[in-house]
Amino acid sequence: MPKHDGDIWRRIAWRNLWRNRRRTVITASALSFAFAAAVLMIALMDGMLEEMVSNGTRVVTGQVQIHAQNYDPERSIHDTMGGRGGLDVAALMDAVDAVGGVTGAAPRVYGGGLVSTGDESAGAVLMGMDPAREEGVSRFGAALVEGRMPGPGEIAIGADMAESLGVGTGGEVVLVAPAADGSTGNELFAVSGIFSLGMGGFDETFALLDMGSLQDLVAMDRDRIHEVAIAVERTGDAEAVADRVEEAVAGLSEGLLTEPWSVFQARLYFVTSLAAAMNTMIAVMIFGMAVFGVANTMLLATFERRREFAVARALGTSGGAIMRIVVIEGLFLGLVSLAAGAALAVPVVVYFHEFPLDLSRFVGTYSMMGSAVRPVLTAEYSWDGPLVSALALVATGIVSALYPAWRTLRVPPADALAGR
Amino acid sequence: MKTRYPTLVRLALRNLGRELRRSALTAAAMALGLALLIVSRTLSDGAHEDWIEAGVRLGEGHLVFNAAGYRDSESLEDHLSPDQVAASVAAAGLSELPGGEVNSVRIAARGLASSADGAMPAWILGVDPDVELIFSELGADVLEGRYLQQGDRLHAFIGQGMATRLGLRIGSRMVLTAQVAEGGIEGQLVRVVGLFRTGADELDDALVHIPLATAQSWLGVDGATSVATLLPHSAFTRQVVEQATAALARAGVDVTGWEESTPDLYSAVKMDDAGDWVFHFILFAIVALAILNAVFMSVLHRKREFGLLRALGLSARDTGLIVFIEGVLLTAASGVIGVSLGFALVWVFFRNGLDLSEMMPPDLTFGGIVFDPVLYPVIEVKHLTQSLFFTAVIGLSASVYPAWQAAALDPAESVKVE
Amino acid sequence: MEMKRSAQAERPARTARTGGAVSRGAPAGMPALCRTALSAFTLAALATLAAAGPARAQTDPRVLEIIDEVDRLMRGESSSGLMRMEIDTEHWSRALEMRIWSLGTEHSLVRVESPAREAGTATLMVENEVWNYLPNVDRTIKVPPSMMLGSWMGSHFTNDDLVKESRLIEDYDIVISHEGPRDGQDVWEFTLTPKPDAPVIWGRIEQQIRKGDRMPIWARYFDEDGTLVRTMNFSGFQVMGGRTLPTRMVMEPTDGEERTVVTYLELEFDVGLDEDFFSLRNLRARR
Repeated sequence: MPKHDGDIWRRIAWRNLWRNRRRTVITASALSFAFAAAVLMIALMDGMLEEMVSNGTRVVTGQVQIHAQNYDPERSIHDTMGGRGGLDVAALMDAVDAVGGVTGAAPRVYGGGLVSTGDESAGAVLMGMDPAREEGVSRFGAALVEGRMPGPGEIAIGADMAESLGVGTGGEVVLVAPAADGSTGNELFAVSGIFSLGMGGFDETFALLDMGSLQDLVAMDRDRIHEVAIAVERTGDAEAVADRVEEAVAGLSEGLLTEPWSVFQARLYFVTSLAAAMNTMIAVMIFGMAVFGVANTMLLATFERRREFAVARALGTSGGAIMRIVVIEGLFLGLVSLAAGAALAVPVVVYFHEFPLDLSRFVGTYSMMGSAVRPVLTAEYSWDGPLVSALALVATGIVSALYPAWRTLRVPPADALAGR
Repeated sequence: MKTRYPTLVRLALRNLGRELRRSALTAAAMALGLALLIVSRTLSDGAHEDWIEAGVRLGEGHLVFNAAGYRDSESLEDHLSPDQVAASVAAAGLSELPGGEVNSVRIAARGLASSADGAMPAWILGVDPDVELIFSELGADVLEGRYLQQGDRLHAFIGQGMATRLGLRIGSRMVLTAQVAEGGIEGQLVRVVGLFRTGADELDDALVHIPLATAQSWLGVDGATSVATLLPHSAFTRQVVEQATAALARAGVDVTGWEESTPDLYSAVKMDDAGDWVFHFILFAIVALAILNAVFMSVLHRKREFGLLRALGLSARDTGLIVFIEGVLLTAASGVIGVSLGFALVWVFFRNGLDLSEMMPPDLTFGGIVFDPVLYPVIEVKHLTQSLFFTAVIGLSASVYPAWQAAALDPAESVKVE
Repeated sequence: MEMKRSAQAERPARTARTGGAVSRGAPAGMPALCRTALSAFTLAALATLAAAGPARAQTDPRVLEIIDEVDRLMRGESSSGLMRMEIDTEHWSRALEMRIWSLGTEHSLVRVESPAREAGTATLMVENEVWNYLPNVDRTIKVPPSMMLGSWMGSHFTNDDLVKESRLIEDYDIVISHEGPRDGQDVWEFTLTPKPDAPVIWGRIEQQIRKGDRMPIWARYFDEDGTLVRTMNFSGFQVMGGRTLPTRMVMEPTDGEERTVVTYLELEFDVGLDEDFFSLRNLRARR
């Protein structure tokens, strides 16, 4: 065979493709649509899981946390990071901020106590925090239904607690909390705001204070904090970021423990894994149908070309050459279809990523979701999923074209021409 | 010309039979699509019914009867009198559902559980052991010891978390303290008879089941705080709530459905449902395209054939009808095959439940009753009908196009050799 | 008033629902601290037994005689005094001095005198209820039922310990398990076993009482497995306010190195208080 052989085959294949334009358009549409559907489906499923994890971790806990090693599960007020002596909080925060993948970090102090108006009292988890830093980690700020985040001497409480205490923004409450030195801290605080996270009892039991105010209340130095909550860019990277954070802070103090959300939110991890498994099931079905659609169309298209192959055969083209044309045709068709599919899917994915579909109207009137939890369907970008689908779909197309071609070549051209 | 349907049907059948491969491929697209729709809807409906069922079993049932004002005050003062309890149970039975309902008469109280090791908040439920065994099913999966029995008095069935934190074992002494109906604080001795584990901390650390009679005498409540009703299926909820509400209009009893009593669960199910709709829409779309592709492909290669029919003297209308009848037959056959295939797949692979734990990270050791990773498919007639209807619509409308093509083409043009 | 340590900063997700305190080593069912103390520490068994209802068959009649005797001594007392409470925990140690008033078994008032930072903090107990006055913020707060098993002033006593109407004789069968010499003293040893339905957490309580002057020596609290959970030791027997009483009481949970020590510095009886004294107004008053 001549040297420029490959070139000719390619030209023949390309011309074949456009000889029967309608058939090509139909097969290409099958392939491109299957690809677009696969890409969209993967993006939406990733988005759904990301949203689930986000709703679970971006509201309060963050995706990575640093604690003293013995802090959990007792969460004693005495088990501050760096032990009783505490540590250099500013240096710690600098070290955490510098880690790649970290988008926000917030130091926190916890205490337990009573929030009281005198007549009514409620047991509360008191969280001392830095409002500016919390903005990058939690959604307390966004969940304020009135007022603002607390400054020194102020407190923000949940809507349910506010209701049971009968107090609103601008009101005054007494905080009574056992302090680290055994005394009983008690102080008046002005209610600066009321938040509604709408989940898991936070609105009933959580109270936010300025970190310094809480440290004063429970008689702890400014060097003593219980937790650094960290937000990462993508929840899926939490493990890797946790490892890097652990390394970055290792030199600052003894006995620090860095954990990703899959450890400290084991239940969420379980539930999302369950959802992921369920999604995989549905994905397998959708993808299976897509593959079947492509195969089906290709089979139909190629079976209809038996005559054509037989004629080519009768005119002296070798079986190998015909198979080769079929493969090259399939490749061309695949590339064109993938491009078309991508052109179809990418705008939709980008749109849903930028403007997540609001599901709240499906959720209906009973929704207790506060402003912190977004009932939305969003799309996440990814590469490996679409790449694998592309390869799988093109391979399916080629194989399903080859099979009828190969069947045709097994019978003598005359029989094939006669339709036997 | 007069239309002879039997002849047209015969011709259509023969056409389908002659190109068996093409017919099979087209039918396969429809049948497989339908089967997958059935399997996938069945699984997601199963998942949702699982969630709802776990939620209402461990919560307040599909519907719950309370004395007016109780849901706001949560005070023992606002309890149901014995007459109201009886009226509630009667109202729950009005709908005479197949399979019947289960009514759990309960007294609920927030209090403290204490042992020699410490004390912690408790959510105390006075229950009828026999009823609760089939209601909450907490007793069906006992971690240690046994569930409450008829005749038990000073017995308590508690969660593993509470047992650990209070240092309790089977037979251990434990004191429950709560505000009683009269207002004072009273203690009640109970002994641990069994432990459960649901996997949900708020239950494992707080929930305590004690016999109803014990709760009644301790808390000074002669009736109950609630009657929780479990229905054979969540779909009956609205009907039963409406009937019971009407029946109890003057009885001072409020009826609340699970959507309202467990709004978090309802939102979660609704949200997931919305997500499922999107995925099923994608699946629908792929199925539709596969069918359309198959049809377009055959139209493309049958021009000659259509032309021949016309040339042999069939009217445009008859030619079109033949092609349409082919489509109808194909769709019908695919529908039957698809539904059978769908059910067969569900039966063969999922009749014992689909264990999702195999698809989850191996380091997960979570679980318990609430988070059962085994999924049981549920066949919802509504969704099954939807899938069938959809496939039929696609199949039939996809048959219109070639019929129209066959009718409209110019016989002379179409028989030309390509 | 105070939540115990382990309740603090609970993991949010969990606190969300359970939200509360686990108080370790400060269980209910023991005799009230102040009353106890003020009634000359006959408390451990005796004063409290006295407050109880009629005896049941299982209790040794001799025990009832002893109780009656003490009851005659103690009935309707009012008292006032000064006490010192030293608390040692794993994390901190502190000492408080408190002025105390009481009337019978149902009314008492405690006001902190030192340290200065907490001076004026006061607790009022009337029947089953507890109020706290916080001078720093000039507010009175009623202890909610959910906090009654929390620690009182950081000590190893719970709020509940302070007010629990001791019903030892109703809740326990009491027998004399030993009578005669022990370590050179002639003593009774009582073993208190809960009656079948009694709402008490202890498996058994043992008490040793000096025969000569009816003074308690110690009380030991066991769980049902027979494990010693906490011990109260009495010492410093001396005449104060005209009566002999143990002026020092040490409460020690068995696990860990922690303890609370209460010492009476002054004590007077029949000081002429009536119920009006134990009012919310008096709770706030600095005097």
